[in-house]
Amino acid sequence: MGQVALITGGGGGIGGAVAHRLAAAGMTVAIADYDRAAADQVRDEILGARGKADAYSLDVTQALEVKAVVTEIHSRHGRIDVLANIAGGSIYTKRVEEFTWAEWKQVIDSNLKGTFLMCREVARVMQKQKSGRILNTASNYGVTGAALRAPYAAAKAGIITFSKSLALELAPDGILVNVVSPGPTDTPRVMEKESPEARRERWYPAIPLGRTGQPGDLAEMYYFLATPESAAITGQTFHVNGGVVMP
Amino acid sequence: MRLENKVAVITGGAQGIGRAIALGMAREGARVVVADLQYEKARSVADEVKMLGSDALAIGVNVAEEGSVQHLAEATFADFRRIDILVNDAGVYLKSLVVDMSEADWDRTLDINLGGNFLCCRAFVPAMRAQKSGRIISMASGIGHYGMKQFSHYAASKAAIIGFIKSLARELGPDGITANAICPGSANTAMPRGHRSEEEVMQRLHSTPLPHVLEPEDIAGSVVFLASDAAAYITGQSYNINCGTYMF
Repeated sequence: MGQVALITGGGGGIGGAVAHRLAAAGMTVAIADYDRAAADQVRDEILGARGKADAYSLDVTQALEVKAVVTEIHSRHGRIDVLANIAGGSIYTKRVEEFTWAEWKQVIDSNLKGTFLMCREVARVMQKQKSGRILNTASNYGVTGAALRAPYAAAKAGIITFSKSLALELAPDGILVNVVSPGPTDTPRVMEKESPEARRERWYPAIPLGRTGQPGDLAEMYYFLATPESAAITGQTFHVNGGVVMP
Repeated sequence: MRLENKVAVITGGAQGIGRAIALGMAREGARVVVADLQYEKARSVADEVKMLGSDALAIGVNVAEEGSVQHLAEATFADFRRIDILVNDAGVYLKSLVVDMSEADWDRTLDINLGGNFLCCRAFVPAMRAQKSGRIISMASGIGHYGMKQFSHYAASKAAIIGFIKSLARELGPDGITANAICPGSANTAMPRGHRSEEEVMQRLHSTPLPHVLEPEDIAGSVVFLASDAAAYITGQSYNINCGTYMF
């Protein structure tokens, strides 16, 4: 039976690239995104390339929605082999003292709490299967910290340590939990806020490999962590960042 | 195949993890130089590579001797004309408390484990720079992060490899060359059996969070990944492969 992968934030950027990569490897991909139209579009692209995909509307901060979507995917496909939690991000750049409580909670919830809710729901499925791969998403800021992005950096650091704890809890069931940590990556969301020239000026001198990342660079790491080649790896964080951070 | 026609040099390639890497790369189409102090064993791994349908060359090398490493580089270029992947796997694993440690044991560990990295990189990097591409993958160890009593020289050498690789990544990034380290946990090889009873070795292998015995092939899979085009944007990293024993 083919493998089934659930990808949050699968409607574009890194999540979209991961959906395409896993589908190209023959997996059935369930694309969940806050933006249903974006999820539909990625699904249609994959179907057009003779892959297997379906799309779901999902706000990962809402426990009832998470439960409903995971239940639907599980009942439709009978299993969930890979969970890639890629939904997240932050629209804010401002000093800590300027953050409202609501803004703070929005960033923490969409990144860290969403990861928790998804893992909790899908782990129950994977525990019954006695197998599964959970791939969470951090950021180089989760290791270095970042001025003007405090809640985002905190949430990403939280995801790294949450994932280690979950890896220890799920290891006896043969379920692997790892983290992919992107550096500066050219996703549509960041590219619309910054010109390519400004981006090049800001980043290139700091990156040993001399370029920013592409969503496809990240997708290869997620795919590797879903293959039998990575069967002995759990609780680890994989930085894919051109060398901008070397923890 | 992910490494079609690439030329890979693997030091310490005659047994254990190095042998698994040699065979793993050959299965992906790489031509392999099996370099090891133990020439006869290297030859037998080269024969295994050939049976997989790939080209292979066995070279006897002491990675802690400049002349010997120079010979390795010359023999590689004479046969294969290029180098795409350098895997620094040669190493020794000696046992002693610091207070009892001889200077000779200290020097031997640092010269082979760390110095071997330096000499091999120095020998092969110019060719990689000239072709504006290359992959360097060094075997560090989880022990390089958390330390281990009676293995302080080994721990120091492996931690130093991580620092060396990060620096190399910064130096060589502009030339399109990546440098990364792998930190294996205790694996099912001959190396730990040099200092522990079979019972102790098995107990360690079975006491990991993940119910999975770490085999050389588990390490080789990640090395092949780092050597492939899929890992083009990864440099300066040290990845732990240890069944969840240690999470850094």
